[in-house]
Amino acid sequence: MDPRAKIMIMLFLMIAIFIPAGIWGYVLIGLFILIALKLSKLSLSFALRSIKPMIFMMAFLLLINIFVIKTGTPWIQWGWFSVYSDAIYQTLYIVVRLMMMIIITTILTATTKPLDLTLGIEKLLHPFEKIGLPAHIIAMMISIALRFIPTLIEETQRIMNAQASRGVDLENGSMKEKVMAILALIVPLFVSAFDRADQLANAMEARGYDPQKPRTRYKVLKMTGIDYAGMLLSFLILVSCIYISVRGIS
Amino acid sequence: MSIKTNQLEHTYNAGTPFEHQALKGITLEIPEGKVTAIIGQTGSGKSTFVQHLNALILPTSGTVDVEGFHIDPAAKLKDVKELRKKVGLVFQFPEYQLFEETIEKDIAFGPKNFGVTEEEANTLVKKVLPIVGLDQTYLERSPFDLSGGQKRRVAIAGILVLDPDVLVLDEPTAGLDPQGAKEMMDLFMDLNKKEGKTVLLVSHDMEHVKQYCDHVIVFEDGKVKKESDVQTFFEHPEWMEEIGINPPSLIRLKKMLQEKGFQIPDTILDMDALVECVKGQVKNVE
Repeated sequence: MDPRAKIMIMLFLMIAIFIPAGIWGYVLIGLFILIALKLSKLSLSFALRSIKPMIFMMAFLLLINIFVIKTGTPWIQWGWFSVYSDAIYQTLYIVVRLMMMIIITTILTATTKPLDLTLGIEKLLHPFEKIGLPAHIIAMMISIALRFIPTLIEETQRIMNAQASRGVDLENGSMKEKVMAILALIVPLFVSAFDRADQLANAMEARGYDPQKPRTRYKVLKMTGIDYAGMLLSFLILVSCIYISVRGIS
Repeated sequence: MSIKTNQLEHTYNAGTPFEHQALKGITLEIPEGKVTAIIGQTGSGKSTFVQHLNALILPTSGTVDVEGFHIDPAAKLKDVKELRKKVGLVFQFPEYQLFEETIEKDIAFGPKNFGVTEEEANTLVKKVLPIVGLDQTYLERSPFDLSGGQKRRVAIAGILVLDPDVLVLDEPTAGLDPQGAKEMMDLFMDLNKKEGKTVLLVSHDMEHVKQYCDHVIVFEDGKVKKESDVQTFFEHPEWMEEIGINPPSLIRLKKMLQEKGFQIPDTILDMDALVECVKGQVKNVE
């Protein structure tokens, strides 16, 4: 699929999730997500695993809501303490929203290469160039940032080892020693990152890179039937969510 | 005390799709007070191996015995600092580990980590600077104003100031000009000859190996492929071909002469002897 279409679909669905369309809205979005999962050949367990880090936050949310929200009908009565229905519903709403958002973004990032993604963003931002938004520069920054994450991780590891050989101990020691140890890691990391940035800029300029000039692409994006179908479908979901929230289901 | 490893194995990212076995059973002994070269192609496990020597990484299986320390996969090294003081490890491009405002502070950083007082550390710094060929005027300068070669000297001084018994150098001359590289190697040789330090040199430069080292260990694909003294190693040019490294120029010259029909014994490894040998035969032809 075209990354532009994927980003648009994600955008439509994200807005739809935030519209209070009640249970039917979520059923619609949920169905769409299931179809997308099926088509993307990702397993359901993979998508669910991406939610795992959120479990703690969800539990925390539930706890706070139980204590704070005291409307609706009391379900559980336990001495002076009672759990109200609204607390549960409210939490459930937020949890479902969060889960759907995470799954959608997981599907997007798992099926799209970062470079395609930035290209998609660039093309989508293209119309805004008329009002002075530097779409190409933004996309270039995103892709450079993504490209250098593994490099910097490697660099960090290297410097940590080098400083450990000089007796730095990141685990033990007093507060002052720890601050010093982190300083000994961060300063060289910044120095080498700036060095790299400098070299990269030089290398790009040596190859005649000019962000203002129009560029041709090795990869040319082309929308196909499924892209239009996906966008249409997600847009319809968005519209129906708005309709439901305004008119209610009758 | 020599360094011994027994069936040393190391696997990176064990249990993930990125699992990679870097060392596949290394058993070897590095003689004390000698200069030992570790050679091998990129990715043959050299760097992984040297990081075991001061317990930066622990073996997946097998053991390392170094300076009276016994390292095995379950090792809980309480006095790991003591080990790192005895085994000084200089990484590739060590200039990237500089971070202090002045050179004096940067070199003193190591000793201070090992519990030496500020004043003592500064005395040590003053002693170590001339060893790496820098004078006292450098003390107050920022390490970031120096040239690449000078930065490297400062970084190496940062290890030498710890006065380690074993000096492990991961390609210390990479990226230096020939003159700088020679000075650097002479410096390490001095430390070996005068102070009896064991030097372990990871290198791609066969000229350096031939000129400076006593002992050669060849790594290939996480295993020890060859281990021998330098003389024997360079008497067998076919070994070098086998592991795909370019022999030193003298060995190549010798081979070319042999192909032209000169009778040169394999034991000849220096230029003067080679000249003598060939001279005699040229006269014979006349």
